[in-house]
Amino acid sequence: MSPTTAARAAARSRRRALSTLFAAAGLDAGTTAATSMHRPGKPAADTRLAHPDSSAALVLSGPPPANAWLGRATFGCTANDLAAFNALGANDAARWTAWVTQQLSPATIADGACDARVASANFQALNLSPNQLWTTHHSDTSNYAHRMLPVAEVECMTIIRQTYSQRQLFEVMVDFWHDHFSVFGWDYDGGPLFPAFDALFRDTSAGKGVFGNFKSLLMEVGKSASMMYMLDLYSSTASGPNENYARELCELHALGAINYAGVVEPDQLTGQYSLPTGTAADGGAIRLQYVDNDIYQVTSALSGWTISGSTWPYTAIDNQPLGAYAFDNNAHYKYQLFFLNRYIPANNGQTAGVDVFNWLAAHPGVATFIATKMCRRLVGDNPTPTLVSNVASVFLQNYAAPNQLQLTTQAILTSPEFLATWGQKMKRPGVALVGALRALGADFTPVPDLDNPNPLYRTNTWTTSDAVMYALQSAGHRPFYWPAPNGYPDVQTAWASTGTLGMTLRMLGQIVETTQDRNVGGSPYLADVQGQTLAAIPVAGDRTAANVAGLWCDRILGYRPANVYNAATDFMRQNALATDVLDLTTDAWDVNHLSKHYTKSRLRSMIALILCSPEFLTR
Amino acid sequence: MTLPALHRRDFLKGCCAATLAGGAARSYGAFDSATSTTQDTLVVVFLRGAMDGLSLVSPGQSHPDRANYEANRDATRIPYSGNGAGLPIGNTNWQLHPRAGVLNTLYAQGHLGIVLGAGQLQPQTVVRSHFEAQANLESGIGGGAGSGIGWLTRHLVSASLPANVAVPAVSMGSITAQSLLGSTEAITMASGQDFRLDQSNWPWNSSDHYDPVPAGFKGLVEALPAMWQNSPLPLAAAGLSTLDALALFRSIDFSLYTAGNTGGYQPSGGANYAPSAGTIGSTFGAQLRNIAQLIKRDVGLRIATVDLGGWDTHNGQGKPTDGYDYFGNQVQGLSEALNAFYTDLATDVNGNYMQRVSVVTVSEFGRRVLENSSGGTDHGFGTVMLALGGSVNGGQIFGTFPGLANEQLFEGADVNVTTDYRRVLAEAISARLGNGNIGYVFPGYTGYSPMGLFQSSTLADTVFKGGFE
Repeated sequence: MSPTTAARAAARSRRRALSTLFAAAGLDAGTTAATSMHRPGKPAADTRLAHPDSSAALVLSGPPPANAWLGRATFGCTANDLAAFNALGANDAARWTAWVTQQLSPATIADGACDARVASANFQALNLSPNQLWTTHHSDTSNYAHRMLPVAEVECMTIIRQTYSQRQLFEVMVDFWHDHFSVFGWDYDGGPLFPAFDALFRDTSAGKGVFGNFKSLLMEVGKSASMMYMLDLYSSTASGPNENYARELCELHALGAINYAGVVEPDQLTGQYSLPTGTAADGGAIRLQYVDNDIYQVTSALSGWTISGSTWPYTAIDNQPLGAYAFDNNAHYKYQLFFLNRYIPANNGQTAGVDVFNWLAAHPGVATFIATKMCRRLVGDNPTPTLVSNVASVFLQNYAAPNQLQLTTQAILTSPEFLATWGQKMKRPGVALVGALRALGADFTPVPDLDNPNPLYRTNTWTTSDAVMYALQSAGHRPFYWPAPNGYPDVQTAWASTGTLGMTLRMLGQIVETTQDRNVGGSPYLADVQGQTLAAIPVAGDRTAANVAGLWCDRILGYRPANVYNAATDFMRQNALATDVLDLTTDAWDVNHLSKHYTKSRLRSMIALILCSPEFLTR
Repeated sequence: MTLPALHRRDFLKGCCAATLAGGAARSYGAFDSATSTTQDTLVVVFLRGAMDGLSLVSPGQSHPDRANYEANRDATRIPYSGNGAGLPIGNTNWQLHPRAGVLNTLYAQGHLGIVLGAGQLQPQTVVRSHFEAQANLESGIGGGAGSGIGWLTRHLVSASLPANVAVPAVSMGSITAQSLLGSTEAITMASGQDFRLDQSNWPWNSSDHYDPVPAGFKGLVEALPAMWQNSPLPLAAAGLSTLDALALFRSIDFSLYTAGNTGGYQPSGGANYAPSAGTIGSTFGAQLRNIAQLIKRDVGLRIATVDLGGWDTHNGQGKPTDGYDYFGNQVQGLSEALNAFYTDLATDVNGNYMQRVSVVTVSEFGRRVLENSSGGTDHGFGTVMLALGGSVNGGQIFGTFPGLANEQLFEGADVNVTTDYRRVLAEAISARLGNGNIGYVFPGYTGYSPMGLFQSSTLADTVFKGGFE
């Protein structure tokens, strides 16, 4: 039977079996358990704009609570993480409280090993000031690789820190806020200045960064060169306004499209003023929904917010260093403005824009919008209204607090919903990749390689770092590569689609086989899984398929779900018994005794099998 | 059929999100599901970098704008006579770039239509940045890309596809085209060979590495389905359909047939997708070949996107009489690959697939009329769109060329836009793909009427039945 016929036959029998499975589970399988990419009941598009009714959290049996919680608050719970966690208290509840408290103050967590690894990569641009990035990289118009080195380095540093940092919750939230304030990192103008943008999220000083104050973060992001270039704010002037940033500030960064009231013509003055108002966190009244006219007002308020040196004649503006934020009063709209029923006086200079940021951050709708997104990231695709409301309250009450986002994050992680939920999120490809690196104890320090023929900078070969980044790109989740300002999707619909899931499975198979230097024969694997297996099962007589499969299910998943454990055991044992001893030290051709056929390779493929399970991809 | 035009704001407000979410009954902004559907395929070729339409199609000798053209173009001029002369297009006074001979033949055969003065009429302040203009074009909402949903995604959502379609869309390239952003029905792949599980180690990857297959052998690929089938998790259903799609693609050999590789794909009619020596587009040609192969496999392909870059000719654009003509190499690469695609699909033994395949080229903008001092051209506005297919009303030039006199130029510098690019794409999806929901696919685009570029598909046109498992 040819592979094609066999595949089709298998598909038919699988469909019958799957229908039975669904029927037993009481789930609606549609007309058939179809295999098509387009089929009834399957959303055709990423539905993030929709706000479906939240259902009660469906609790599925999964890993132990510690693994489930750590699995969502980190990039992957390793055996070391678990050991450290268990030492934090007498029971899971106490341990979790302690862990969360600790992780919410990342500056107090020693991270020497990760810092050393970052240092070993010898990045050049990460700690440069905006002005240094401007003069060293942005001004380089002849050497593209050198020009874009800053974003290439941020990309690599991000993977390193996600994989190795002890400040895992911090890394999870940095990832979240990058998606929220999404910037395409490889923009020709914004890319060279990207480290300064990334630094806004990674700032651990009081009131700053992902555990700081939202109002502060919102405005700092608006003033960053990378965001200015992404959404054209740097070129928006009173005489030539550009509403791109203003629109996305309202729609994506702060209020959300859900708070948009539509096109309400300004000449229907009663129109927008008849919309409901509420009380903002600053105590004043504020209109709850925004209209188009608000966007134009914001555009005017923010005119003149620019980057020194970014516009003709490309000299410093307001004596600010080139590449740094500058306010150009000559380009600023001078007349009075009205935003969300609030009044901005004329000739208010930079304060007009500051008012916009302050009022947005105090808006009750913003609290709900941000809370929803954070809950969606940490708990499940459809967070309950109760949870969202509670978290929004914390956000709003702490509107002025320097640790507003710390408290908001804490509220989610300590909520009963978070603790009771598992299986409502899918790992996005980047999380799956880093999770695999962590679970396999990989040794991987990606460095940029922009195929620059100039030997002074980089090599002109396809390196391991290239291959890994490309695999992640093919899965659709390369860091800072989403082209639109709304950021990578955060719902299963997007990532479980055939295209991305297929390439994610491909990527996971690849990472197990990836070596330190793909251009050198015999280069060691990133993850020495053979060595780890031999060390974990020191007695040769214990190296059975069952034990090996069990070991890696524990390490990768934290438990042994029947489907994965059985599949892994069967794959590892082939024609032997699950309890037969395997020789894990050979790679020899033996197709007549498949349990002896390329056993070292089979171990790696068994691990790939576990990584390619729905249980690994669920969190 | 006309529907209430949707303002972009309304679309973003979420009225369409409900329908995106799978059919919630909201009348406001809902699209009409009763439109008949076809099995046609639309291939959108994005010429990235801003293609100089004025060089692809230039005024011929007797054209009233020839003098203006020559006044503005010297180092990049296409002559009308002698060595490197443009090819007269039919009996018009336009000429096609001399390296596009095969396209001229397709034009003469009535399979190629040319639209002049095409481009993005919105947003009103013209966007000069490649990235942003490309995003605007592919987002299809008249400016801005914040929604993260591409125009082709909206088409697929509203196209009333039959209940089950194996592979509705492919995006050729390593990242999903923005026109398909947000779609869950597209496979993104740089080549057909990419969409398969082939990265684990050789001995245990899959049984198809062995001939004969050892008794009882089950590789990683064979072991995955049972593991997913036996999982209680919600993700399992998605995984199974993914594994089926992977199996489908695995069963297809996307490599090129040669004497030493007889399992590969053999294009019909001797079509050769490989670029001629000195020209460009080997990846482009291979990707078109993959698309053709998928069309012939009847996987239900409705949409394919593919890119051809290298059009940003600020320096050294070249002209036909140069020893090295960069732009000419681009044109020949594009032309020959499109011609190979046409031949391959039109001459297949199973029939003329090109009767239900249409190719449309887009580019984010054109190039400035007055060339610069570096032998090139800078960013412009209006450009040329091509439509190729067996159901195209070819052999005609469409649109109103706005003229090259100074007062006719946009901002005194660029070829103006007289045909909104959405007009061409809207006609493609309504006339050929049977989707009349123009206001949904292109919110904010008003006043649409067809140019007559495409023949209207009728259900009787379905020569080929779509085959589904």
